[in-house]
Amino acid sequence: MSTPDSTTQTWTLPVGPLHVALEEPMYFKLDVDGEIVRNVEITAGHVHRGMEALAMRRNLFQNIVLTERVCSLCSNSHPFTYCMAVEHLAGIEVPARADHLRVVAEEIKRTASHLFNVAILAHIIGFKSLFMHVMEVREIMQDIKETVYGNRMDLAANCIGGVKYDVDAELLAMLLAGLDKVERNAREIYRIYASDPMVTGRTTGIGVLPPDEARRFGVVGPVARGSGLAVDVRRDVPYAAYPQLSFDVITEEGCDVRARALVRLREVFESISIIRQCVATLPEGAMTVIMPEIPAGQSVARSEAPRGELMYYLRTDGTDIPNRLKWRVPSYMNWDALGVMMRDANVADIPLIVNSIDPCISCTER
Amino acid sequence: MTTMPDNALTAPLATALDALAEAEGFTWTRDAHGNAYGWLRLAERDTLPEAARLLAEGGARLATVTAYDPVREPGVPRQEIAYHFDVHGTTLTVTVVLDPECPSVPSITPHFRNADWNEREFMEMYDIAVPGHPNPRRLFLDEKLDAGIMNTIVPLSTMTNGASTQDLWERILAARPGDKA
Repeated sequence: MSTPDSTTQTWTLPVGPLHVALEEPMYFKLDVDGEIVRNVEITAGHVHRGMEALAMRRNLFQNIVLTERVCSLCSNSHPFTYCMAVEHLAGIEVPARADHLRVVAEEIKRTASHLFNVAILAHIIGFKSLFMHVMEVREIMQDIKETVYGNRMDLAANCIGGVKYDVDAELLAMLLAGLDKVERNAREIYRIYASDPMVTGRTTGIGVLPPDEARRFGVVGPVARGSGLAVDVRRDVPYAAYPQLSFDVITEEGCDVRARALVRLREVFESISIIRQCVATLPEGAMTVIMPEIPAGQSVARSEAPRGELMYYLRTDGTDIPNRLKWRVPSYMNWDALGVMMRDANVADIPLIVNSIDPCISCTER
Repeated sequence: MTTMPDNALTAPLATALDALAEAEGFTWTRDAHGNAYGWLRLAERDTLPEAARLLAEGGARLATVTAYDPVREPGVPRQEIAYHFDVHGTTLTVTVVLDPECPSVPSITPHFRNADWNEREFMEMYDIAVPGHPNPRRLFLDEKLDAGIMNTIVPLSTMTNGASTQDLWERILAARPGDKA
């Protein structure tokens, strides 16, 4: 702790850049009054890699590989949305089979990502057996990824105009059997997070983000939906095969850590249902279309990544190197809103509150 | 497609924004799923806060902001900023052209709280001034680094040659133990 400010009787408490809840660095300067946080200042940039500058040195194909490496947990959403931006710009129509397979990859990633986040919640509150159990269930999704895509994190599923992987009856049977196992376990996991006194005691009323503040900060994804805002790009700006699929936009009214965790857990069931619908209605046909010449122009593409709306902006000048490629990740606004969630919070709850936005630092800083 | 799709924007908002635009007004594109994307270039960059006010009152959400150099030729400094909004599902991009001599754009934080981080990012990456920003400190880059790193265009040949400043070699030579005697 640094020196006290004699006029206000508050102390400055540095948290980070290396943080108990996160494997990635972020620095919080907290003004505390006893155990209570009064003000938060965030200093970012510890893992800034200049990836947007790199994107302007690579051609349109190479950027698929680059964007898949922005972040690990939403690694499929980046190349997916980037490809959608190229397709929008060039007027490419993706075959129906590819649209369905893109959704399958995206929802597999979402399920694994959401389970990972709620597992870390259990880890932070010291409920180690729950942490181990949720991670074990998530491992089923990791096995599915490894079997279908040959990779546990970066699936390399997308290409401009379609997908790079196909599935046969044997793979689909393995996928569906895995989903059944995850669903059975997730029901029990949901019950624990919703009603176990050990969990609810630490998560209810913590890190509150009221709906008007959520709107003011422009937060997205489970953070917005945990504050009762029914925003979901899959429904609001439909893309890929989502217009043909039926699913609910999950919201919770609690506005706290618990509400955000419950949104994620309930979305696991929606994702499983979406994957099953895709498998049941998987059209036959081409995996991809032949890529036309990409004209000069600009385009925007949006998708619902596990953490919320992901947006890509692409400018081309007629060459194969982008004039500009910019992306905005869901964590970007969610970080700034932490100032509201942490105000008047107990210092001991800070790891829980930070984890509740499912923060991605390598995403945010690029 | 230059006519506005049905229900993309309300008529009063579209008319008010159109009055601030360059002569061609709105242009519209659609993706393969029929989602509408509007594009608008402001005639005067100083009207940006007015456009932001109209959009905020129309229920828009600021999604992100992209600063860029539309030419990327060494010795031809040009900068534009694209503000991307979500207006009830329609993606609207409002672009302002900056003065290359003195790149500056007014802050829209009074209308969109989440413009704070976006503006700080292009301040440090593109060295663009933002009068009226409530908290104009660095976002990602350390204070020791010069602002405007994204304006620097290093030819690939220079980069791959590993070109370094004279300063570095002078420091290495000065540190050689043999030379001290």
